[in-house]
Amino acid sequence: MTVQLKGRAETVTIQWIPKYTVMERLGHWIHTATFVPLAITGMILYFPFLQPLAQGEAGLFIRLVHRGAAVIFGLLPIIYAIVEPRRLLLHIREFLPRKEDIGWLKAAPAYYLLGKHEVMPPQGRFNAGEKLNGLMMIVTWFIFGITGVPMWFGKGIIPPELFRWLVVFHDLAMIVAVCMLLVHLYLAVAHPLMWAGLVSMRFGVTSAEYAAEHHAKWYYGPKRAMEIWEAKKREGAHH
Amino acid sequence: MNDRPSPKLAMNRREFLGLSALGLGISLAGARAAAAAPSLASPDDVAILYDPVKCVGCKACQMACKRWNKLPNESTDPLGIYESPRDLSAITWNIIKLRRAEAGWHFFNYQCMHCTDAACVEVCPSGALSHDPHGFVALDRVKCIGCGYCTQFCPYGVPHLRVVNLLTGEAKAAKCIFCQDRIRTGIGGPACAEICPVGALTWGKRGKLLEKARARVAELQAKGMNARIYGEHEAGGLRRLSILLDEPEQYGLPSVPKTPAFARAWQRVIQPLGNVVFGVTLAGILAAFLFVRRKIRMEEVK
Repeated sequence: MTVQLKGRAETVTIQWIPKYTVMERLGHWIHTATFVPLAITGMILYFPFLQPLAQGEAGLFIRLVHRGAAVIFGLLPIIYAIVEPRRLLLHIREFLPRKEDIGWLKAAPAYYLLGKHEVMPPQGRFNAGEKLNGLMMIVTWFIFGITGVPMWFGKGIIPPELFRWLVVFHDLAMIVAVCMLLVHLYLAVAHPLMWAGLVSMRFGVTSAEYAAEHHAKWYYGPKRAMEIWEAKKREGAHH
Repeated sequence: MNDRPSPKLAMNRREFLGLSALGLGISLAGARAAAAAPSLASPDDVAILYDPVKCVGCKACQMACKRWNKLPNESTDPLGIYESPRDLSAITWNIIKLRRAEAGWHFFNYQCMHCTDAACVEVCPSGALSHDPHGFVALDRVKCIGCGYCTQFCPYGVPHLRVVNLLTGEAKAAKCIFCQDRIRTGIGGPACAEICPVGALTWGKRGKLLEKARARVAELQAKGMNARIYGEHEAGGLRRLSILLDEPEQYGLPSVPKTPAFARAWQRVIQPLGNVVFGVTLAGILAAFLFVRRKIRMEEVK
């Protein structure tokens, strides 16, 4: 695909390669479409200044939205596990922390704040930050489920002492998940270095050049990516 | 793709500024809530005093409560004539139970304690539970969303949930409301205390009732009973004062009602801390956004 840049004479050719499957994208957007209403309706009980919204008819509606969204939010990974079991295992393997993720952490400030992608060691299809986001989503999904289901059906059945802890952990999971979402949203929508992310999640493709630069371990394979990186580092040292 | 028009960025910046201001406001509101400590009960608050030595277990209070608050009947165990129904519920807000204390078997009346340091008011997210200007814990059924937090946090297990629909979670909390309508309109005191034929349940200004209770305790102690007042200091001062003839635990009452501390830890520590985390996250994103805009040129990004 050739793109004519605004205010520039030359055209840029982008070679698109597949990155996310249809099911991955569908899962991502259904997750988004349920988590955002869940977070908004949940905040109404969380923030005292939103109290008026929780009262009367509005409160009834908000409760229904929260529960309806919660059912889809809860079932989505289970359905995904049934439809794409191998893919789900792949994600879990992809998200697991590794020793080399420390390299990402060290390079992150220069990479994200100054745009120096040459300092970033080769990353997989998900970089270490995205892996952390994915992992936290899995963890908080479990916490939301374990605490949320008894909060819905267990009133008066489970001991009050337990219920109190469920409420607290539901809140803590929400704080973590919403903060992750805010950072994720910024990186996806407004960070210049991440321009390909939203394209990939919408159309399933990414630029080959972008993938080579930002997800080298996935693009070249781990061994070749390291070789290229080492070579680049040596070259950089000469200059 | 690479060249974003600047007006969009300017709007983004304004949005982010607004968001971070919101985050800061939320954090400040949380800090203010943490600073506000509950005040102690005023002697001018209305209160109920219960004297188990005078009580004959006629259950007139229970009946008057049902009648005034239009509460439906509850099917009970036919053997439980002295304790029927067995416990407080969403439709039974006042109950007489049989208790064995040091002085032997006697009756004891249970209802909402109307705490000053009320866990239910603390955790109620919709403002349905609140302190009336007269001091007692009032309940606005219209505001209630049936979340049931009050039923789970009350150290006395008083509020109960009347579940309308388990699937949608539609429910309403219910508890003794000190006959709030009678007090507010000046009809009189709570129905239970008004009807009591033997003066076991009396109502009035809390200060006066405490004086009365002290005199009564002295009288009972002189007769050799292990009498004491319950509710003078518990949970910041209760508006349902009781004379006990044994340790509070014999009546199923906690010596030190602990739950409010937990409720406070949740809503005054964890939630404001969460607000700080939100504020820091939003501020961090804003700072990164403003910094990155200047440092990274879209044209140079591959």
